[in-house]
Amino acid sequence: MEQLFYYLKVSWFSVKRAPLPYMLTVLILSLGLGVFFSNATFYYRMNSDPLPDKSDKLFFPMMMLVPYQCSDCKPPSVLSYSNVAKLAASDIPSAKAAMYSADGYLRQHATQPPTPVNIRITQRDFFTMFDVPLLHGSVWADDQARDELLLSKASAEKIFGRSDVTGQQLLLDDRLFTVIGVLDEWQMLPKLYDAFGRNYLNAAEDIYLPLESGYDYNYLSNRNSSTFDDADYRKLATDGRTKAIHQLQYWVQLDTPAQQQAYRQFMANLVADEKAAGRHPSAEANQLVMMRDIIRYFGGESGDIKAFAIVTLLFLLVCIFNASHLSLNRYLSNQYEFSLRRALGAKRSQLQLQLLVDMSMMSAFTLGGAAVIAYGSINLMNYLWPSNRLFASWDLQLMLVLAALTLICSYLVTLYPSLRASFGSLNKQLKE
Amino acid sequence: MITLTNLSKIFRTELIETHALRDINLQVNEGEFAALTGPSGSGKSTLLNILGTLENFDAGDYLLDGISVKGLSDAALSKLRNEKIGFIFQSFNLIKDFSIYDNIELPLRYRGLKASERKQRIEHALELVGLHARRDYLPGQLSGGQQQRVAIARAIAGQPRILLADEPTGNLDSLMARQVMELLEQINQQGCTILMVTHDPDQARRAGRHIQIIDGQLHDSTLYDPLTRQTA
Repeated sequence: MEQLFYYLKVSWFSVKRAPLPYMLTVLILSLGLGVFFSNATFYYRMNSDPLPDKSDKLFFPMMMLVPYQCSDCKPPSVLSYSNVAKLAASDIPSAKAAMYSADGYLRQHATQPPTPVNIRITQRDFFTMFDVPLLHGSVWADDQARDELLLSKASAEKIFGRSDVTGQQLLLDDRLFTVIGVLDEWQMLPKLYDAFGRNYLNAAEDIYLPLESGYDYNYLSNRNSSTFDDADYRKLATDGRTKAIHQLQYWVQLDTPAQQQAYRQFMANLVADEKAAGRHPSAEANQLVMMRDIIRYFGGESGDIKAFAIVTLLFLLVCIFNASHLSLNRYLSNQYEFSLRRALGAKRSQLQLQLLVDMSMMSAFTLGGAAVIAYGSINLMNYLWPSNRLFASWDLQLMLVLAALTLICSYLVTLYPSLRASFGSLNKQLKE
Repeated sequence: MITLTNLSKIFRTELIETHALRDINLQVNEGEFAALTGPSGSGKSTLLNILGTLENFDAGDYLLDGISVKGLSDAALSKLRNEKIGFIFQSFNLIKDFSIYDNIELPLRYRGLKASERKQRIEHALELVGLHARRDYLPGQLSGGQQQRVAIARAIAGQPRILLADEPTGNLDSLMARQVMELLEQINQQGCTILMVTHDPDQARRAGRHIQIIDGQLHDSTLYDPLTRQTA
């Protein structure tokens, strides 16, 4: 330990000897790492698996059942109510939930100004399938229509000033609903159950309503929907269940490969039956997409983040090169001291230990600088692209990776200069 | 304790080869004080560097305490320098922002001595060179003669068996040079072998033995003849 303090002292003296080049080296490296950190944060969040235990068990079935000929059509990302009902007839999935999202206005009393809210209109299995944590109360007893809703914790605290509000009543678009449950803090990142059209970047919804009630009260989807007959998407309450209004996302949980194979066969049989009945003249175009592949399937990977990742990586390499050059100058100007220490009996391994401490000190300064620059850079990106705001948070794992990266970069920056310095000619330096 | 047999050193560049040392045969016994003299470029510093294992040689052999340094690993050479050899340079080679105490401590640090033993040795060396009161000074706060005395203290703190001094008084005025010479003589009297490169004939005369190098070849009344030794 005493020797470590000695090495630290020697490093500190070396910094004091030429503070400007040292600060410049740290600054350049911090800049490269800081910019890289900020981008890595978004990249890490967007590519993380929010449900690692389940993401290979949850599937998004898509079918194209249309009464007209279409040879190269891809199945739509949303289903009609009647098609969902056909899919839901299967007992193969362990869990299944249809859903869509809508907008509404919420208030406690008619005298209060209403607050705009995002609504997820869904079925009870949604909460178990996506591991939604419940803080108070329970979910609906079944999938029937009912004037009961669940609130997010933030919404409960915003409206009532507290989270335990089960049994309380609320006005949703001036219809009276009873709160039967409050979710704990929850944000699936990325929000893969709503992946189409980069919706996975959005925050979780404020309230949760039963699917049947959503249809009964004519809550229109605020995402893309499609129709192909005389159906009017605005008449959800009357036509939604019978006509070709496609707006439902449908998720099933298939725990085993056997279940998955059986469900694929079930979907194929379904299409074959429709063809036989003359309701679907085209070829089968079913899709059963695993949750972890859903963003890639919809082509929603963020191109700008990816491009920026490459640019920041190149920038980091340039910074490492420049910092290494500065570091080389610093070490060469100190080479006399290295030679003296070697002449007085220091082994190369002892000098390398000294340089390791030197590098650790530089890593500590660089990590601090990079964290500050990354923080500023993330705030700037949030300002420029507010939709990415949810992805700008660090966790312990990410921070450890970033710290390790700083250590590696500092090592790269000091490796060649330190080797040059410790292998220099002894007598030449000492004679000068 | 030092035996050189047919030792040669050639400096090579792309165009020319310079024979810095040619077939040097030399024996230096324990406790000797030898002065190495010769014109500039004659090879005396090269010889001193080879003796200090700061430089390699091309041919011949160098035995230190009966052990050939040829083929020793870098770590072994470092250990040998640290434990057996003390260096005194013309330009002192003190680290400017380290205190006198820290400068003297340098070789002891790499020997792995305990703090208490280091302190004891440093204080003894400081007493010997008469700079105990200035242990916390920086080198820049001392005169040239005092700085050289610090360098001597650093060299002897490790209690080496050989002291290699490369023009130790070259940068000093005559009074300070005399003080340094007296100090070296005092150290020699305590049993330490000294090899000193000098241009000063007076200093060379004060040493017990005078070795001259001209054009990389040794001229010495006490030349060591390996053939005679082998026959004996």
